[in-house]
Amino acid sequence: MTSAIGEPNAIAITFFLVFIVLSLGITVWASRKTRTAEHFYTAGKSVTAFQNGLALAGDYMSAASFLGIAGLVALSGFDGLIYSIGWLVGWPIVMFLIAEPLRNLGRYTFADVLAARLRQTPIRIAAAIGSLAVIAFYLIAQMVGAGNLIRLLFGLPYEAAVVIVGAVMLAYVLFGGMIATTWVQIIKAVLLLGGATLLALMVLSRFDFNPLALFAQASDMYGASVLSPGRQVSDPIDAVSLGLALMLGTAGLPHILMRFYTVPDARTARTSVGYATAFIGFFYLLTFVLGFGAMVLIGRDAITGIDAGGNMAAPLLAEAVGGTPFLGFISAVAFATILAVVAGLTLSGAATLSHDLWVSVVRGAKADQREQLVVARAATVLLAAVSILLGIAFKGQNVAYMVGLAFAIAASANFPALVLSIFWKRLTTAGAQSSMIVGTVSALLLIYLSPTIQVDILHNSGAWFPLRNPGIVSIPLSFVVAIGVSLLWPVASEARRFAELERQLHLGVESADELT
Amino acid sequence: MMVAYFGFILLVAFNKPLLGTLVTRGLSLGMLLGALVIIVAWILTWTYVRWANTHYDASLAKLRERR
Repeated sequence: MTSAIGEPNAIAITFFLVFIVLSLGITVWASRKTRTAEHFYTAGKSVTAFQNGLALAGDYMSAASFLGIAGLVALSGFDGLIYSIGWLVGWPIVMFLIAEPLRNLGRYTFADVLAARLRQTPIRIAAAIGSLAVIAFYLIAQMVGAGNLIRLLFGLPYEAAVVIVGAVMLAYVLFGGMIATTWVQIIKAVLLLGGATLLALMVLSRFDFNPLALFAQASDMYGASVLSPGRQVSDPIDAVSLGLALMLGTAGLPHILMRFYTVPDARTARTSVGYATAFIGFFYLLTFVLGFGAMVLIGRDAITGIDAGGNMAAPLLAEAVGGTPFLGFISAVAFATILAVVAGLTLSGAATLSHDLWVSVVRGAKADQREQLVVARAATVLLAAVSILLGIAFKGQNVAYMVGLAFAIAASANFPALVLSIFWKRLTTAGAQSSMIVGTVSALLLIYLSPTIQVDILHNSGAWFPLRNPGIVSIPLSFVVAIGVSLLWPVASEARRFAELERQLHLGVESADELT
Repeated sequence: MMVAYFGFILLVAFNKPLLGTLVTRGLSLGMLLGALVIIVAWILTWTYVRWANTHYDASLAKLRERR
């Protein structure tokens, strides 16, 4: 099969330019409203539940979801679906454990929740380390994905593509802050959901709109094994470990947690998670059809022929069912997806650097609105430059693996401390701090010692740590450290402080300005 | 939710042949259960949102007044 992939595609470029012009227009509009740090980080808490639901979905459905899962399913069938399902079940966890207390107790970053009841400085430093590690790996994955995608779709060199993504994202975040970033997410989520639905319908139209006929043909072509668990999860403990990291990682992603501060109250936060779960679940159900559709209509060899990782399965499928114009549309959607996720990540990184480190630690919360905004913007420029450099340095890395890494760190570094700080009275500063550091370090170390790095990348004969995903070790370890340290060295005043805050934690306060 | 998901993951881990059983032509038990996990997640979150928006918020409002 010949494909237009790899040649400049006029329709893709047109769609893409329309998206850029539209989103930059929103940025100009948003920049007029972004006068304070409050606006920059939280869009002035003016986002509705439905909007935030879409924006959460936009932040969450990255290139790894759309291109990566479609490719994984196309190449390995059922195993790819384990990612879809694992990424979705994180949402009920966010809903039941995190969303409302987070909204009630924080201002700009999730570290606010811990800092409210524990000693600020050590907590914010530890939380910043964990957050920045997660953001760095997630950013690398998105930038590498963007570079490859643009190179394949538009015929641009990899480095130029990475610089373009960095520059456009910088414009959104720098001038439009959270308001522009939120609207970019909303537009992207609508485009992605619409595009994926259309693509799935066009695939199903070839099978009398009966998904089972599609799955049946897949198993006729590639054997019944495509419908059952296989090679990717050959080790039972590794499967559980992956499941844990995917599920708990969502509740530790800084750019997702930050979205709960853009809504006016806990009720809106809760309802927005309901919308987000609905959108994301629907999208992941579509990935069943897209993945198997690519497997049947394109064929595995043709997919790996274009990109060994299978990342081009969805664009190829679009070309097969809708010709070059539809390929252009889906390519533009995929690019918009990456751009929006990168913007969300950068904004949360800027919040961590300026709000957690500069304003709270360096300046002891004595910075005025003007200074906060200046520092936040400086941090944005810094992060954009770093992400462009990292994107170029990590050229050729596997995208899905890097995202898996980010989830494992998020689940080990941020999730245990955050959950314990919301529900456990006796948590101490030292406990939370050591949990975040041990979680980050153990996740990174175990990944380094895993077969993925030692055997696949460094070509050693064996690995010290047998599992590909560290979650099953590093997440419990992080919990044990937090609980152990807190029990061994109890701090009575911090337990009392929790009792004082409990009311606010569950009931919320009338005005968030009462919090500092 | 965690029971549903970990039930599913443990089946993936320890009982692959069972999940490979075909329910009907083109649909294995594993894929059916996977789709069901997503649908259960929908039902649980929306049940919670409805319950919390009507009952839980009302109780919270009462608590706030008692300050």
